Amino acid sequence: MVSRSCFFFRRLFSSLAPLSWLPAALLLLPLAGCGWANLGGHQSTLDVAGPVAESQRSVFLVTVWVTLFIFVVVGAVLAYAMIKFRARGRLRAADALPGQDHGNPWIEVGLILASVGLLAIIAVPTMRAIWYTYDVPEAERKDALEVVATGYQWWFKFEYPTEKIALPAGGEGPLVTGNELVVPAGRAVRVQLRTTDVIHSFWVPKLAGKVDMIPNRPNFLWFKATAPGYFYGQCAEFCGESHAIMRFRVIALAPADYAAWLATQKLPARATSGTPRELAQIVPLQPADPAADRGGIRAASPAFEADPLAGWKRQQELPAQEDADLIARGRALFQTKTCIGCHVVRGHEGVGIAGPDLTHVGSRTTIAAGVLANTPERMFQWVRDPAVFKPGNKMVHGGYIEPKTGRRLVTLDAQEITALVAYLQHLK
Amino acid sequence: MAQSVETAAAPAHAPNGGSHVRPINLFPRPTASTGLASWLTTVDHKRIGLLYAGFAAFFFLLGGVEALLIRTQLMVPNNNFISAHFYSELFTMHGTTMIFLAVMPLNAAFFNLLIPLQIGARDVAFPRLNAFSLWTFVGGAIMLNAGWFLKSGLPAIGWFGYAPLSSKLFSPNLSTDLWTIGLQTLGVSSIVASLNFIVTIVNLRAPGLTMMRLPVFTWMALITSFLLILALPAIAIALLGVIFDRHFGTSFYEVSNGGQPIVWQHLFWVFGHPEVYILILPPMGYVSEILPTFARKPLFGYPLVVFSGATIGFIGFGVWSHHMFTTGLGTMATASFALATMAIAVPTGVKIFNWIGTLWGGQLQLRTPMMFALGFIWMFMLGGFSGIMHSAAPADSQQQDSYFVVAHFHYVLIGGATFGLLAAIQFWFPKFFGRMIPEFWGKLSFWIIFTGFNLTFFPMHFLGLNGMPRRTWTYDGNMGWNEGNFLSTMGAYTLGLGIATYVVVAIWSYFRGAPASRDPWDARTLEWSLPSPVPEYNFASLPSVEARDSWWHDKAMARARGVTGEITPDTDRPAGDIHMPDASWYPLLTTFGLTWMMLAFAPLHEPVVWFGVSLFSSHLPLVIMGLGIMLAGAYLWALEGPGGYHLRIEGPGRIRTLRGEHHE
Repeated sequence: MVSRSCFFFRRLFSSLAPLSWLPAALLLLPLAGCGWANLGGHQSTLDVAGPVAESQRSVFLVTVWVTLFIFVVVGAVLAYAMIKFRARGRLRAADALPGQDHGNPWIEVGLILASVGLLAIIAVPTMRAIWYTYDVPEAERKDALEVVATGYQWWFKFEYPTEKIALPAGGEGPLVTGNELVVPAGRAVRVQLRTTDVIHSFWVPKLAGKVDMIPNRPNFLWFKATAPGYFYGQCAEFCGESHAIMRFRVIALAPADYAAWLATQKLPARATSGTPRELAQIVPLQPADPAADRGGIRAASPAFEADPLAGWKRQQELPAQEDADLIARGRALFQTKTCIGCHVVRGHEGVGIAGPDLTHVGSRTTIAAGVLANTPERMFQWVRDPAVFKPGNKMVHGGYIEPKTGRRLVTLDAQEITALVAYLQHLK
Repeated sequence: MAQSVETAAAPAHAPNGGSHVRPINLFPRPTASTGLASWLTTVDHKRIGLLYAGFAAFFFLLGGVEALLIRTQLMVPNNNFISAHFYSELFTMHGTTMIFLAVMPLNAAFFNLLIPLQIGARDVAFPRLNAFSLWTFVGGAIMLNAGWFLKSGLPAIGWFGYAPLSSKLFSPNLSTDLWTIGLQTLGVSSIVASLNFIVTIVNLRAPGLTMMRLPVFTWMALITSFLLILALPAIAIALLGVIFDRHFGTSFYEVSNGGQPIVWQHLFWVFGHPEVYILILPPMGYVSEILPTFARKPLFGYPLVVFSGATIGFIGFGVWSHHMFTTGLGTMATASFALATMAIAVPTGVKIFNWIGTLWGGQLQLRTPMMFALGFIWMFMLGGFSGIMHSAAPADSQQQDSYFVVAHFHYVLIGGATFGLLAAIQFWFPKFFGRMIPEFWGKLSFWIIFTGFNLTFFPMHFLGLNGMPRRTWTYDGNMGWNEGNFLSTMGAYTLGLGIATYVVVAIWSYFRGAPASRDPWDARTLEWSLPSPVPEYNFASLPSVEARDSWWHDKAMARARGVTGEITPDTDRPAGDIHMPDASWYPLLTTFGLTWMMLAFAPLHEPVVWFGVSLFSSHLPLVIMGLGIMLAGAYLWALEGPGGYHLRIEGPGRIRTLRGEHHE
């Protein structure tokens, strides 16, 4: 952890390597093992993985150096003045006064000019980066991948307008996925930003700074992942009760892996042949109490955390054996319990568009918009108590419960949830 | 002689005006000088200032408790100490409360307490209007906080209230309506108060007090007042759009009818950015008074400090879109606002240079107010640096709406504005309460606050750079944010302890502190020439000013003449009877009508049901009733006549009140 924790300071001083050791040592001394100064987390804006975030970081480091310089100079003068001119003992009104100077225009003008000069050092790279980070560079534009990201309270829909799939009702439409955006590494990605309700903001710190999704305002941003990786993102504009848990992931894959993923995703949902099992014969899952997560981690296991991209690849694999009868019961329940009203399972019954597309939900590493690891136990917790993990969400208010009357529309017992989870998990 | 001076001091109350208009005595002017009615009807700028301060202190502590609840929720990942909805309510109210109900009215308190004294006047130009501002502020505060006692709860849309989250569709509850009308009402209060202060400063200055002799605090108050009257209309218009959208189905921000939510952001920040300077310029004024006093030197570069304040105010209107760098402004607009934002660092830097220049070569006495003032310089400087970082738009796209921004503006608004206010309270406490705050306990509270503040907010820089967004009810345990948040929460508790110490010490001092002399700090401006606490008539005879830092100048002149021991000013000697404005019920009545009208307007389309009996199908009749009371209040106020009475100082401590007697 220590190697990662003082990342910022190593980064800061590595840019001035020959001179860096002295101030670095001074600053790092009190910060040794500084967990609170950790800057190498999943959403680090400094441990970046693409040219856009890199450009933003380099501007930031310029501002750090300039302000650090001003701080050292001005702070030293201020500290000196505070020590040097401190009166000895309590003075009385009649005691002799210090020199009563009223100011010095030349010092003032000099300091103003110096300030302007220092700001110019910041202004020049700022201007350059504003234009660079705005849109995909001309040379890469033809090769760029177009994606549409749409914000919903509180999840993200991702569409690939250039990748067509057959729609259940006939015709074709763009490939749709939810909360996990898969892109090719090494290729520029241009994301069209849309929203269906309030303002959201698309932010994957390691790849690019945020741009807001504003109603009636077609925004966009671009990024490029230099190498394959698994990146954390999150909504960055307050969008209501569950804003904090509107998260997502960006997975950058090598071109061949990306092509393979795309081919799988374009297929309709997997079909298994089983006879729906009687509910009484289902042994329910028994997940832990969500309250036990306090202080802990919900979205990743330690094994996943060790190598997230490998974890993502594991998630794509089909399990060695599946309980076809249980899955068949789950599929039937998905229909009768009205899940289909909000969710699409392409090739199966689901047709709704208010919630995320679940055609390949089993292949995602997280559910509930990046909040929970996609395991059967977590999915059970989520389906049973969506409001615990995402207060105010529509699966409860509008799905399970009629909003106006408060009447319970959907009830699910443990056996039914277990069957639904088996069905959803098998949708790889 | 005396007559002409009095006329200059209180032009709104010509002594004989009462004989021309027959006064209507529906609510006769109260004459008692103590008791509840005397406070409710007071027009004395000092009492109004103290009332502002009292209400603001209450809301400051309430906002602090809200912050502690927020920090407790964030102490550990995946916490469930409070619900997501309550969390949204808390940060909405924390921001709204601290800005509109704590820092702004605390500054307003000092405007009231100090401006007439620093310019050598008997009161503000419009004393009854001043009372109206105060009570309208209280009315607005009630509207914003009514949700604590209502089923609909508190507003949960953030202090910035972005459309379309503020629309009926996404926030259908009454609390959002109360928030819109509450802010609107506070705007009325601030605009009225600002006009009053501008007229006061421009017109009621003592003879010889030219603009370039004005104390820096009064200068900053003047600039702030101009910022208020220019900035508040922007949010008033923006709020009117929200109110109309919510009540009358208009489409200013209604997306489905082509409304543009982005317009709200522009209008809000056209107000919101000058608002930042509205909060910080007065504290810059306090510090500019405190530093010279405890360095025993004049302020370094007075004209530049004044001019830079005006420049900050001016450029402050041209940088609002740096709050919107992530809204897709396009390259040219982003570049323009980035450069303008960098430009504003220059006059801000000028102030810091001049404060250091003031210290340079002085005899620094580190009394408690000075500790807070020096803390202000250091902390404000750090907040300024992160501000410069935000001006670099590409860097800002990573920092915007992250904890880095939270760290930045708390360094500016606590390390800056609040430290300035805490310094000012320590500094002027003896003047208005006649008691000293014990040095040891004052300094102890400073060190606890200083430590707690930095412990709370310094780690937030790292949290933000590590990708933690603001307005985050909870976070997962694998993001690298655990230690920073835990430390920050511990810091918040420390800061809370420090503020509690500060408040307890101040309350103790009010009752038991050592009596304060006229001029305990050997200070510089006119208020220190008056007895502590200041008598209700301020100056027995009005001063004439010969130099900047007038009282300091008078003291130096007296000593040059060979005076030793305590120096008493010429203004102690009365020059005839003192004309005083009368108290009045009508400002309170007018505010009562306004508050009634606004409160009834919030649930406009709801039927009025009292104790199970349906009275009206909508709240419109109640709105009209409130409007009627307000208009009646204003009308009777206008017909009340100027009133006024006279004080005759017959000797030390012997003051006779003269009512309706002829006097000359």
